[in-house]
Amino acid sequence: MTPLASIASAVLSVTPWRLERRLEVDARRAALTRIGGAVGAMIVVGILLLLTGRNAFWIFWQALDAVFGRQRGIEGVALRAIPILMTALGVALSLRMKVWNIGSDGQFLMGALAAVGVGIHLDGPGWLVLILMAVAATLAGAAWILVPALARAYWDVNEIITTLLLNFVALQLVTWSALGFWRDKAAAVIQSTREVPFTLPGIPGANSVTIALLVPLVIAAILWWVFRSTTIGYEIDTIGGNPRAAGFAGIAVRRRILVVMLFTGAIAGLGGMLQLSAPGAQAMNAGFSAQFGLSGFIVAALAGAAFWGVIGGGLFIASMFYAGIVLQTKGLSVYIIFAIYGVILTGIALGEIAARYRVVRREAADESEATAGEEAAAPQGAGS
Amino acid sequence: MTGESTRLSVEARGISKAFGGVAALDAVDFEVRWSEVHALVGENGAGKTTLCNILAGIYRADAGQVIVDGTERDFRSPAHAIDAGIGMVHQHFRLVEPMTVSENIHLGWPETPGVVSQRALNERTEQFMGEMGLHVDPTAKIWQLSVGEQQRVEILRVLARGARVLILDEPTAVLTAKEAEDLFAVVRELAASGLSVIFITHKLREVLAVSDRLTVLRHGIREITRPTEGATASEIARLMTGEERVLNVEHRVVTGDPALELRGVSALNDRGITALHDVDLTVRSGEILGIAGVSGNGQTELAEVICALRGLESGSITVDGADVGSMSVRAVTDMGVGHIPEDRIGMGMVLSAPVKDNAVLHNYWTEQFSQGLNLNRQGVIDFAKRLVEAARVQTRSVFATAGQLSGGNQQRLVARREALVADQLLVAAHPTRGLDVNAAQEVRSTILDKRDSGCAVLLISDDLDEVLLMSDRIAVIYEGRIMGVFDAADADREPIGLLMGGHSSTEAA
Repeated sequence: MTPLASIASAVLSVTPWRLERRLEVDARRAALTRIGGAVGAMIVVGILLLLTGRNAFWIFWQALDAVFGRQRGIEGVALRAIPILMTALGVALSLRMKVWNIGSDGQFLMGALAAVGVGIHLDGPGWLVLILMAVAATLAGAAWILVPALARAYWDVNEIITTLLLNFVALQLVTWSALGFWRDKAAAVIQSTREVPFTLPGIPGANSVTIALLVPLVIAAILWWVFRSTTIGYEIDTIGGNPRAAGFAGIAVRRRILVVMLFTGAIAGLGGMLQLSAPGAQAMNAGFSAQFGLSGFIVAALAGAAFWGVIGGGLFIASMFYAGIVLQTKGLSVYIIFAIYGVILTGIALGEIAARYRVVRREAADESEATAGEEAAAPQGAGS
Repeated sequence: MTGESTRLSVEARGISKAFGGVAALDAVDFEVRWSEVHALVGENGAGKTTLCNILAGIYRADAGQVIVDGTERDFRSPAHAIDAGIGMVHQHFRLVEPMTVSENIHLGWPETPGVVSQRALNERTEQFMGEMGLHVDPTAKIWQLSVGEQQRVEILRVLARGARVLILDEPTAVLTAKEAEDLFAVVRELAASGLSVIFITHKLREVLAVSDRLTVLRHGIREITRPTEGATASEIARLMTGEERVLNVEHRVVTGDPALELRGVSALNDRGITALHDVDLTVRSGEILGIAGVSGNGQTELAEVICALRGLESGSITVDGADVGSMSVRAVTDMGVGHIPEDRIGMGMVLSAPVKDNAVLHNYWTEQFSQGLNLNRQGVIDFAKRLVEAARVQTRSVFATAGQLSGGNQQRLVARREALVADQLLVAAHPTRGLDVNAAQEVRSTILDKRDSGCAVLLISDDLDEVLLMSDRIAVIYEGRIMGVFDAADADREPIGLLMGGHSSTEAA
């Protein structure tokens, strides 16, 4: 049981209902319950806003209008979505193997830092420099998780702590680069690195969104295919389900863990380069990552490590954040906005539980119409 | 004393209980007398545990009455049942591992003094153990005790609360043969002192060894209640299964080429201690070599070292003439070596994955399912459907998770899967452990079919009856050493039993 499901079942324990695990989780229901959770949460938010004397309809209209009503909104969401999607995809990949990469923020930063290093020092045609930046960022992201990955794979050192702590190291390195070794001496006010003179080509018709937006979509498609149709995906899922069974099946479990963890770091690192290659974001400072890794982690966890779910969830959360910023400019307090974020994320999390469990009455549960699986399960509890 | 001994301690009348629309018990009558050991017998799913859970207040019956010592009772919780003198010792112990025996016995016992020193607690415990004639070191921590001793603590705990009717749910499932013998003595002793003991089991030898009377349940219906005296194992088995299904196994003498050969094999256990000493074994194609021995004498390591799951310290292993000692797990599997692992759930399955993925766990990489990177999904599904049907696994679909299957179905699935992998050699570790008679027969038939098709089988089991029944030759293992090898034709229970206990054959003779 996930922590939230445990809490939910503890709360239910004082009621006549209880949670019961579903025999199969089908993807359509999983998506619908999450959407339902978000919608339900927004209704709750609306009622709370109305009760506190605010015009909830106006606020929702403003939020929708800000996001979908104009091109700037859509592009703003896309720009925020790219780093969140990249970190979320990396985390989702690691979660398939039950590895918790909490360090995607650090890998993201190191990827961006490597990209800056290449971008401000290499001369050449822009396309070549951008490719080299992407390669450097990918390698740097992987390098940043190398030690935690080795430690986890070969010495069973808990990766949650090692990856998390390296985030702070990465942040210090970025700050140092902005204040020290790669500092832009020309800009006196803002402490940042020099600017990379190249940006990725824009998407036709867009003002600021580049082809970077396609990268997470392509990666999600590849990962989806790998886990749907290849032996590699099967093996990673097997390791995640039961590492001893994976060993029994002759899978090189330790080597797989190492390689997959390197990939998760590489995806986050590439995300750093994508962020850096957007027009106007071509230099790094201490505030380069607005904790994208954390948002990415939330998205991956809420999506249950399903890759298309990550895309949908990432776009939703990016919209939510963007709408929140716009609402702040319209005078809504930042605390209220954070509270709204919290309620909505909780709603989605409850939707995630609803996809895997159902609520049944305690007494009635015994009489409920039986499925074959329950029949098979009943003698286990009843007879043996 | 006849009047005393025929008086009923517990009487259940017309008990019915259904789970999810499936009847677990259908109007069952059940009577237990004071001063008797009453065996409650039946296959898995026959309703034994359900009936006792109702007597112990864990479930409430849908219909029927429970009468304890002449008074009708309606238990709403286990506490009500224990107040009425009915206590149950479950298969899985409910002890607090870091606490001492005294503390566990006194935990949650209304008679425990509010403030008490450790010494006083131990003295009370000692005294109580003396009264009951059951002894465990009261100062020992639970985790330091053997399983048999932990079970004794559980029994003491229930008795301390004033239980006069003691229910033991499959108490020997976790015990060694010696511990089981000790338990039988304890149970007889308790009955002699006037208590009722309800002994749930599906092992026929135990029924005959320990009980005064027996009740057979089948599919939630009582088949018979009768005195144990005069009953035979085959008669009880027939009542349990509803038909005479005695596997008729013909033992053979095979002289073909060795399919598996171990020469001087030594290996370490997980703690780095030598678990196999200089083992020599040969299994020929078309024969079953049974490994008899008490659990924990190197059987686990033996199976794993053959399947390359465990490293070899010294010696050589050949399968079909090829040295597999340094091969990878996968290479050994590709030689046609199937393995029904001892720990089915922990090693042989991924419970969170669908049945279809579990069906191909040991051969998904073969050409049948894999072309390059591509995993043939439809091929996997079709294969899984055929496997589920052939193994008679009850599941709603091959997309349901393996964790939803009952234990017997999981075991059938793994056994059939491994039989398909095994062309040369099948290593079967405790293949029928925990299975009821019917499921065990099916798994045994699967193994015998493999043998008859020319596969070599290494059968590891701590059930000597099974080894004697199935094997063409029998090797006895004790503390990691092979103590002797017998042809099944001239194998005798007694010398093998002595070797299993570490007595050498010369001592035995």
